[in-house]
Amino acid sequence: VSSQQFSALTEVLFRFLTEPKEVERFLSQLSDFATMNKISLGPLKNIVKSILLVPNGALKRNLSSEQVRADFIALGLSEEKASYFAEQWKMNSPTLTRLAVGQTLMINQLIDMEWKFGVTAGSSELEKVGSIFLQLKLVIKKGSQLENVYVELTLPQFYSFLHEMERVKTSLESFS
Amino acid sequence: QLVCALHNLTRHVVYRGFTAPEDILSLFPENFHQNLKNLLTKIILENISAWRNEAQASQISLPRLVDMDWRVDIKTSSDSIARMAVPTCLLQLKIQEDAALCGNNPVVSALTVELSKETLDTMLEGLGRIRDQLSAVANK
Repeated sequence: VSSQQFSALTEVLFRFLTEPKEVERFLSQLSDFATMNKISLGPLKNIVKSILLVPNGALKRNLSSEQVRADFIALGLSEEKASYFAEQWKMNSPTLTRLAVGQTLMINQLIDMEWKFGVTAGSSELEKVGSIFLQLKLVIKKGSQLENVYVELTLPQFYSFLHEMERVKTSLESFS
Repeated sequence: QLVCALHNLTRHVVYRGFTAPEDILSLFPENFHQNLKNLLTKIILENISAWRNEAQASQISLPRLVDMDWRVDIKTSSDSIARMAVPTCLLQLKIQEDAALCGNNPVVSALTVELSKETLDTMLEGLGRIRDQLSAVANK
């Protein structure tokens, strides 16, 4: 594989890694590469699979680009190609790291919040009431399903909730 | 029959929200015993705000927030990445189901929700807007 072909292939690989949902595009780009360079698709796929293992393992173990380069050389790649790949790795690692963090487990993740507030005008017990209520709808991701939770708060509860959330924000900011 | 009548009287007073003794006195028939009428009115007036509060507390509503706790964690590693330092917030809401449906045994459930920093920021934005709308309504 010449160095030109190698850099083209690397580009295709990294584009897939940074957008893991674009599987179709990746596969079509691979088959284009195969036909352009007169390599058969089967062995190419196998090579690509083993190459992909390296960045994934590197991400898991937070390897520096030096270590990635050393890994590739150990696998039998020429120095030039290994350095090129390591460079690409360094450039792309913030995006890849962010993707990995995004995939991390989250328990009952809050997806969305809607609200309405109004006044209770009357009820079967009290003819004229006039008390303010706040209703929150929280959309929560439980496993792979979305669940809606409805909660009603009184005004004092709302103000203390707001106060607590502001404290949480200060706490989170001090840790980033 | 007496208890029933008394119950109806107090419910009516609470419903209409009477606060002045004249309103209650006018409910009694003409030839009602004067002292008893005054005594009853006095007792009802004393209790009326407590009864109104209780009625309001037990009216039908969506599940109500009873308590809320939070904690901030730092995620240090996961199966997809070995080392990181991502702060995250865990919020626990204690929610009581509709009081009117539960009678004397309210069901309180605890819901734990996780929020990332971005989600928290968006939520605070929303809560701020609620606060602004509330003060706009209060100032009208």
